[in-house]
Amino acid sequence: MIEQTVTILNRKGLHTRPAALLVKTAARFQSELTLAKDGFEINGKSIIGVMTLAAEQGSQLTIRVEGPDEEEAAAAIVAIFERKFDEE
Amino acid sequence: MKIERTHETRKKSITAGFLYQQTHDRFGLKQLNGEAGFDNLIRDKSLNRPGLALAGYVELFTYDRVQIMGNTEIRYLNSLKPSQRMAACTNLLEFKMPCIILTNGNIIAEELLQAAAARHIPIFGTEFETTKISYFLADFLDDQFSPQVVVHGSLVDIYGVGVLLAGRSGIGKSEIALDLIERGHRLVADDVVNVTRKGEGILIGAGTDLVKHFMEIRGLGLIDVRSMFGIRAIRFQKRVEIAIELEEWQGDRDYTRTGLDTDQVSILGVDIPLVKLPIFPGKNVTVIAEVVSLNYLLKHYGYDAPKEFAKRLEGVIGQKKKGNRAINYFEHDFE
Repeated sequence: MIEQTVTILNRKGLHTRPAALLVKTAARFQSELTLAKDGFEINGKSIIGVMTLAAEQGSQLTIRVEGPDEEEAAAAIVAIFERKFDEE
Repeated sequence: MKIERTHETRKKSITAGFLYQQTHDRFGLKQLNGEAGFDNLIRDKSLNRPGLALAGYVELFTYDRVQIMGNTEIRYLNSLKPSQRMAACTNLLEFKMPCIILTNGNIIAEELLQAAAARHIPIFGTEFETTKISYFLADFLDDQFSPQVVVHGSLVDIYGVGVLLAGRSGIGKSEIALDLIERGHRLVADDVVNVTRKGEGILIGAGTDLVKHFMEIRGLGLIDVRSMFGIRAIRFQKRVEIAIELEEWQGDRDYTRTGLDTDQVSILGVDIPLVKLPIFPGKNVTVIAEVVSLNYLLKHYGYDAPKEFAKRLEGVIGQKKKGNRAINYFEHDFE
């Protein structure tokens, strides 16, 4: 299991399009992805779940990846947060 | 199963202001001395009546709870001389109470209200009687402080039974929920189900404020069930009574064949029946989900089909009957 904290860097926060990018990326891997914000934990492969977090710029999320391909999955997911979801 | 691994949360405190905002409509609360102390924290779901503390006995005074002052306290105060009254109140206001609620439309002198405001203790008034407001508030606080967990699944009311559909993402929970809605059942929440434990053994599931009755259907995107199917297709909350876990058919897996032994899953320490349902093409999961609900209802009303069948079988074995026709001779049935 890999656990890591990421910060939302883009101005508009984790809105619909970034959420879609995130779940699409997560769906490519077999591993389970869990995202948590302020104790609220959701499945990272569910777009409804990801949007429920309503994560704004500057907020911190804990991501947890668990499964056979967790290394690659975690790297890919952290990368899209760092790329600001290709928005800016 | 997956449901058990999820992360449990519990509110540690709410503010007096939050209590007021959330309940003033329902409980008819009125602010009597402004908003000073609205950020006081309530950490306990119990209530307290400060009668003895007013009379001067402050040992064991649970001042950190919401204080309810009813007829008893107010009449006691009114029976005192003005100087004693002020002293009793000043004594009480020494304690950092989160807020005080005056019931039965009782009022207290303006100078006492201001003294409380100066100590950052908000006072609310209500027309409700003490027993009633205590009941309402205890229920509200119990709800606020009860443990919660977010479950990844769909919660649907099928024939009045709250069925939680769980399983890995992409297995088709939302599609089955949609199919159930089409057949007249009601969606509570899809994908993100907030489950709260009420009292000791009741689980209540609801959606989140933001999502309400939106759902995602792969290939279509987001749809709004309420605007698409109307009010009959939704409900805001429902007791969670059964969990159905969907999984791909695995030939070597041991699925129940008689239903004599039922699996259980524990959510927030409450055990509910769990049905593990293998899915494969051509299997109508919707109908099976309906049957699961009906079977649950039958059991609830005292009829357990597998047990009845087992009993019947034992009877037949005991009689050592011969023949295998359902009815040996049915008169004049030539159709």
